Amino acid sequence: MDCRDVTDLAVERLTGEAGADARAALAEHLAGCERCREEMAALEGVWTRLGTDPDATIRPEFRRQTLALLESEMLRQRVKRFRARPRFASPLLRAAALLLAAATGYFAAKETAIPGKAAPVVAGGARVGSKSVAPAAAAASALPDLQAEPRLSNVSYQPADKNGRVGIGFDITSRHTVVGRPDDPEVAKLLAYIVSTNAETSGEKSRAIELVSEHFSGAATANAPVSPEILAALSNTLRKDANPGVRKKAADALAGFPMTPEIRTVFLDALRSDKNPGVRLVAVDALAAAAKQAPDANTIQSLREKAADPQENGFVRAKAANALKEIAF
Amino acid sequence: MELRAASEDLGLLERIRRGDTEGAAELFERYAPALLRFTDRMLSDRAAAEEVTQEVFVKVISRAHQYDGRAGVASWLFAIAANACRDRRRRERRASVVPLEAVAEPRARGEGIEASLMSEERRRAVREALAELSEEQREALVLARYHGMPYAEIAQTLGISVGAVKTRIFRAVEALKARFGEGEHSWTAAT
Repeated sequence: MDCRDVTDLAVERLTGEAGADARAALAEHLAGCERCREEMAALEGVWTRLGTDPDATIRPEFRRQTLALLESEMLRQRVKRFRARPRFASPLLRAAALLLAAATGYFAAKETAIPGKAAPVVAGGARVGSKSVAPAAAAASALPDLQAEPRLSNVSYQPADKNGRVGIGFDITSRHTVVGRPDDPEVAKLLAYIVSTNAETSGEKSRAIELVSEHFSGAATANAPVSPEILAALSNTLRKDANPGVRKKAADALAGFPMTPEIRTVFLDALRSDKNPGVRLVAVDALAAAAKQAPDANTIQSLREKAADPQENGFVRAKAANALKEIAF
Repeated sequence: MELRAASEDLGLLERIRRGDTEGAAELFERYAPALLRFTDRMLSDRAAAEEVTQEVFVKVISRAHQYDGRAGVASWLFAIAANACRDRRRRERRASVVPLEAVAEPRARGEGIEASLMSEERRRAVREALAELSEEQREALVLARYHGMPYAEIAQTLGISVGAVKTRIFRAVEALKARFGEGEHSWTAAT
């Protein structure tokens, strides 16, 4: 063995990579070479010294926060899975919905043409065929009495047709189907009702929120202003729903609407007191986006508090700090 | 033993895929200490290390279905952690913030003030030396020295060849030898 090979082999011995033969050859060389023994001692010194750096340990608070974060993340994933639909299903469902709408319209028109016969309610619900004549009235005639706050079960949704009409089916004592645009007052009322408290499952409620979100968010908002009932229902959900996935979905939907003082208050409350960091992250994003356009003292104060709060989740803290950098105040 | 651990790891990932929160908690208990040690030494910033470690587990939940079994679960986790540390440092460089000051570990019970100061001094010297290494050298060295990973596993974790691992560790040790050699007097005095 050559002296030039020693450092290489010595490092491999320290890392446990050197085989028995290599170790024996190294030992033999070191026994007869003073300079290489010094080199070996220096490298062992480095290795030992690295070992004086104590390991970081898990703080109980870090464990608690992370486990809570993971739990909420798992819940969020479950809600996501609920949304998943095979790609091919969407066009098929749309086609089926259109076909159903056309067929029900045809039969409804045929029946109403009979003199003296009352107008029927299709599938216990809206008269889709009359939609082009009196859109709101069609949905109104379909909506059963919700005054007694009945629990809706088996809520199902038909995607929007080319006119933007969605179908919402549900059971009370019998099956009802309401078809209309989400901004039709009665459909909006039904959606708000489902979002509020009266769907049986979180999945049904989540889907209603998605429907609201898809229809009213972004560019569509200018043409279809969101109804006060829906805003109130989403705000209520964000404040009170027990399921963090549903609360996050409500927050996502509200974040898609133009900021109003009411929405800002809900987000500030969520940022202050929602237990789920995912929800708080949405609140930070929404508040920061609005504050960039029009700085608001309450928002800036809340973001400052979050950025400096050592108990806060790291993601939320970092996001609040970054948001503050981008707000001109 | 290793085979059993690997099979248990796969079982935990499967439970996470099925949405079992307890599975995620068990994976955390099993790997968080090692991942925190790794991120802490990579970033030299305890708070950032905790955030990145959290980030790793959140990513594991969202990517559990992407795990293809080509590397062990431990290697996969360390690969995610190494990437997250790189991203973090990149972001910090952009923001012109390079925190090298680590949060000191709580002093061991019964440890005197003098001993504590000395051990803090040693720790700081090692951290500064590690921070001087290139990111690539530090990754390979930390995995070998503090996690006892064989070269082949380090190569798999970092997505490089075994030869590259060997070179990085060799150069890292040489650089540390030179650095520690410079401060030999203070080191001897401290010990």
